[in-house]
Amino acid sequence: MVMVALPFVPLLLWAFSDRWFFPALAPQSWGLRAWIYLFRTAPDQILVVTLQSLWVAAATACIAVAVGLPAGRALGIYVFKGKDLLSIVLMLPVVVPSLCVAMGLHLWFIRLGLAESFLGVVLIHLTFCVPYSVFVMWGVFSNYNVEFEDQARSLGATGVQTVVRVMIPMTLPGIVVAGLFSFLLSWTQYLTTLIIGGGKIITLPILLFALMASGDRPVAAAVSLLFVLPAFFTLFFSARYLGRKGLVGVW
Amino acid sequence: MGELILDRLILRFGRRTVVEDFSLKVADGELVSILGPSGVGKTSILKAVAGLLQPAGGKILLDGRPLIGTAPEKRPAVMVFQKPLLFPFLNVEQNIAFGLRMRRLADSKIRRDIASIMELTRLTGLGRRRIHELSGGQQQRVSLARALVVKPAVLLLDEPLSNLDADLRQQMRDLIHKIQARTRITTLFVTHDQAEALAISHRVALLLEGRLRQVGSPRELFHRPADPEVARFFGGTNFLEGRFEKGALHTQVGVFPLPGFNGNGHRLTATIRPEDIVIRERGPYDLEGRVVRTRFEGMATRVWVQSGNTLLVVLTPDSRLTPGQRVRMHLPPEKIHVFPPPPDERRA
Repeated sequence: MVMVALPFVPLLLWAFSDRWFFPALAPQSWGLRAWIYLFRTAPDQILVVTLQSLWVAAATACIAVAVGLPAGRALGIYVFKGKDLLSIVLMLPVVVPSLCVAMGLHLWFIRLGLAESFLGVVLIHLTFCVPYSVFVMWGVFSNYNVEFEDQARSLGATGVQTVVRVMIPMTLPGIVVAGLFSFLLSWTQYLTTLIIGGGKIITLPILLFALMASGDRPVAAAVSLLFVLPAFFTLFFSARYLGRKGLVGVW
Repeated sequence: MGELILDRLILRFGRRTVVEDFSLKVADGELVSILGPSGVGKTSILKAVAGLLQPAGGKILLDGRPLIGTAPEKRPAVMVFQKPLLFPFLNVEQNIAFGLRMRRLADSKIRRDIASIMELTRLTGLGRRRIHELSGGQQQRVSLARALVVKPAVLLLDEPLSNLDADLRQQMRDLIHKIQARTRITTLFVTHDQAEALAISHRVALLLEGRLRQVGSPRELFHRPADPEVARFFGGTNFLEGRFEKGALHTQVGVFPLPGFNGNGHRLTATIRPEDIVIRERGPYDLEGRVVRTRFEGMATRVWVQSGNTLLVVLTPDSRLTPGQRVRMHLPPEKIHVFPPPPDERRA
């Protein structure tokens, strides 16, 4: 807990300071200037950027799970030719730096009219979120017993009912992990968002970098705290919910 | 109603044929066991009836209506698997209600049906329990209740007792027997355990190497096996080969009168069950031999006796026999079962 909390001490100090000059160890004067700026002076900008970030991350997470679920199922349950090759191909976007992928795709995105668009940013985030999501769901379905579905069918569940009432509840912890993972990956993206978004799609990291560059440390610290909230939420959620239930709903 | 007819069913996995030409008629209200060693395709037959496996050929008829092509959820046949497969995210009651919920029945009816089925399967009071709080036997009972509550025309039981220990097995077997007798639900029961099949079924169908070998009442299969392999499956080990002449079977070890059997000159194979051979010290006897090995099995002792070049296995209540001892055996003629000779080997 201390290890997790320690890096946030300077952030908190900065966010609640008015003046803090070298070589003092603590701020010379305290104040809420940063927070007043955040909620009074520029609340609209902060809100728009936060929402933008949320939408991008949420859309990315939803699509990543929607793709990861059937793909992970296929990889985890069925045996087919080229499965090993597929796993290597899936690994590639994780291994290759996302900067290279973004640079490479930028030209194509410009041609296709996807550059500087919401969809373009989501797509570029998906290039690495989908593999992660597929890997998580692959693991989940490797321990999944398909007989549960046979049992459901035999008891009178239609194909759709089987998916909704059996498969999804059985794999829910995995789905949540894949979703949160993708959400956080997308939420923390800077470079790929900057390249494809071209400054039109402004997310929290983009704003944060701008604030850092402007030298207003207290405001940057306050935005950082806002930025880190989802990660904290995820941490608590996974500790409380997943820690108890485990990753696999099958025994 | 629930008369189930399987007609020349063929089941394949890829290119491998697991079940060939399987025909079986199960009358309404009957409990028929499909018995056979592991991996002969017994489960596949149930899956085909449940609609979870597409047969490569043949017909499945329920009350005269063909089932093949009907989706599993629309078939009035419910399968209970070897593992209880209870949904871990639902409690006992919700698990039992699953099939009724899928049919979108009214809550009041669901509650009534669940209460009565829980009473029948002796689960009353466990409704709110989580699945992991149940014992193995309780889980299997929930699984059975979940299948029975939808009132299927045919119940398909796939070795539901094999994961239970001996004591629970016995209780569960009795429970299934009782429930089947009370509900008169047509039941196909798959097992590899001959004792289980004999104890529970109206009729037994023996499946060996993907082929149906014999169908009949438990007594028929046990005492009048159709061929040596069937006999072997039921623990038969003593086979006598010889020629039938003048009302008796002439074998290498001796001559055994077979009253009521016709067909002079036939080469025949006969069998006698280990527990039917009588070891006696006095009185007439048919064979003499030397004890080679003994194994104490509690209720009885299994004794291997060498007589000429034939090794006979005898199950006797006498536990004092020791290897090397000479014994006299009586083979009651009425206990000797002669296999019908295959058509092409009638006259050797």
